[in-house]
Amino acid sequence: MHISLRRLLHNRVELLLTFVVPIAFFSVFALIFGKGIGSGTTPKVKVVVVDEIQSPVSTAIVDSLRDSAGLRLMHDEADDQALTSDKASEMVRHGSVTIAIVLKGDQADAIRAELLADASDQVAGQVVSALVGRELVLAKTRQASRTRQAAAMRQTTVRRPPVDASPVRPSGEIAESLSDPSELVQIVDVIGEDKANPVVSMYAAGIAVMFLLFGATGGGGVLLDERENTTLDRLLSTELTMDQLLLGKWFYLTALGFVQVCVMFLWGQFAFGVDLQGHLDGFVMMTLVTSSAAAAFGLFLATLCKTRGQLNGLSVILILTMSALGGSMVPRYVMSERMRELGLWTFNAWALDGYDKVFWRDLPVEALSPQLAVLMIAAVAFLLVARALAIRWEFD
Amino acid sequence: MIHAEAPALEIVNLRKNYRRLEALRGVDFVLERGERLAFLGPNGAGKTTLIRALAGRTRPTAGTIKVLGHPIHSIGARQALGLVPQDLALYGDLTTRENLFAFGKFHGVPRRELKKRVAWALDWTGLKDRAGDLVAGFSGGMKRRVNLACGVLHRPKIILLDEPTVGVDPQSRQRIFTMLDQLNEEGASILLTTHHLDEAEQRSDRIVILDQGRVIADGTIDELVLSTVGHSRLVKVRIDRPLVAPVTVPGGGSVRSYQVGIAGREMIETRIEDVAVELAPFLQAVRKDGYMVSDMEVHAPSLHHVFLHLTGNELRD
Repeated sequence: MHISLRRLLHNRVELLLTFVVPIAFFSVFALIFGKGIGSGTTPKVKVVVVDEIQSPVSTAIVDSLRDSAGLRLMHDEADDQALTSDKASEMVRHGSVTIAIVLKGDQADAIRAELLADASDQVAGQVVSALVGRELVLAKTRQASRTRQAAAMRQTTVRRPPVDASPVRPSGEIAESLSDPSELVQIVDVIGEDKANPVVSMYAAGIAVMFLLFGATGGGGVLLDERENTTLDRLLSTELTMDQLLLGKWFYLTALGFVQVCVMFLWGQFAFGVDLQGHLDGFVMMTLVTSSAAAAFGLFLATLCKTRGQLNGLSVILILTMSALGGSMVPRYVMSERMRELGLWTFNAWALDGYDKVFWRDLPVEALSPQLAVLMIAAVAFLLVARALAIRWEFD
Repeated sequence: MIHAEAPALEIVNLRKNYRRLEALRGVDFVLERGERLAFLGPNGAGKTTLIRALAGRTRPTAGTIKVLGHPIHSIGARQALGLVPQDLALYGDLTTRENLFAFGKFHGVPRRELKKRVAWALDWTGLKDRAGDLVAGFSGGMKRRVNLACGVLHRPKIILLDEPTVGVDPQSRQRIFTMLDQLNEEGASILLTTHHLDEAEQRSDRIVILDQGRVIADGTIDELVLSTVGHSRLVKVRIDRPLVAPVTVPGGGSVRSYQVGIAGREMIETRIEDVAVELAPFLQAVRKDGYMVSDMEVHAPSLHHVFLHLTGNELRD
């Protein structure tokens, strides 16, 4: 025991992994859940409202929804009025908003709501459904109350005493008697409804990106092994240059990562029905760019560290944190706005957004431009920094 | 263009500083074409720094290195050099053949020639039957042979070996030097650093001794012996009982009389210039004083003596 303790105290990396990593990791999750769904301050859901009724009552509902603490209306009033159900559905499909609230009237003049939802966000649908249902019931209650008051006024005017008038009931009872909120609100999944196993592709992407990063840092670590056992010295005494060496490793890690993700998605298609063939173009583009960025990141970390031990410690901390923030472990929609913004500094968030567009939203490859651009820029930047850091290994 | 008359390596006033530490303090020497040169020195003398500078792995602070008459960073200079590092710089998780192919490619051996060179290397190292085995499972001697082969696949004209036989058994060492002799016979110049002084003495044409970043001796073994300890032999005589008083050896001819031995010891040591003339009077003097000689050793001067004479007996690390 004494020897084990002494050895632990001499090994800074092991100390870091033993005590600092759990704290860092716990802190990330505490931030995600503490300021997200766990704190009671659910992040605001991005919505648009389509008012197909355009009555004073429906307008009042829209106004109430606009003031709701749980919603963020993404269009101003004028736009909302111009918005059609199809256009709103398209916005949900593109990910501009999470849910489109379509207010509809029926033959009995009751206002009902259709929520055009993105089922990948499993929380938002329930939250918005509850909020809209409440507003609809309240509106109906107000309307019923006004109707009764008008009737009473008419009866007072003709001075006829009420014969079978019901006693006044609390508004809650009125609401219950009028309708159940769940009957007034219908959730329509506009993206995942025709998919065989829609959520699996999301998780496949999350896991794939995390393992791409682990694989790339492990592969980059070979550079440190070569340095430690002097093979790097020998390689650089041949005709091989550091540029060739780093590019060679980058190409290799990119190719390996690409094959790794392909194998994973092929298995996903075979075992879980992920529609890989139907999204091949977008998948190839995203996987190629994500693999190249992960490979460059792995080389950057390797050149940043002095020893393999350092790399192991640093990569575990960074990759687990990035995966937690970027949505590989916990869906980003449960995170607070701030955490989501923070997540945009990670690979995972951009890569997962791209895969989400490909597999979930069925968007054309042109829609992947922001994700592809960010990941490509990251790849080039990390590769350049890695090259700059590797200068110290070229000559003493 | 390669100058036919230029030496294989020409090092002039080579200096290398690591911050305040002066690893090389103006090293000058020449390695002739086809020559086998042993580079000796205590730990920390600057041998590895020198090898690294020659292999282009460290930038000298000052001085020049010429390879076959051309500056070290000129085109072709790197191709003319073959480095065999002290550590086993191999991929243990590759087979012998895969290692050889990899380093052959890195050394720029043309694709059409690579297969032949790898076949030659497998034959040369005696590892043809282990070509498909992972290097990680090899003995130290086998790894050393692969390590050597990987550095010479491109037929370098100058081979730099940094302690190529460290940690191997006498049989493997013998094999490695036989392999080096083959390369030397084919025209390669060899520069090796070693702590095995017997290797340096037997396997090199010339010896350079480096200490504290400077060349302190350069020459053949005979030249070094003559200029340092001389050709006198060390004679050690064990007697049957402790010496009561030093023994006086009478002079004769050009030799003066002298005293040997220390009272209380059973071993008498002395140096004599001419064994044929001086040994007999010495032994007679011992017997005359009443002592019986139980054992005797005569040591010729060796590189070991030269080395200790030049670098001292103090530990360096």
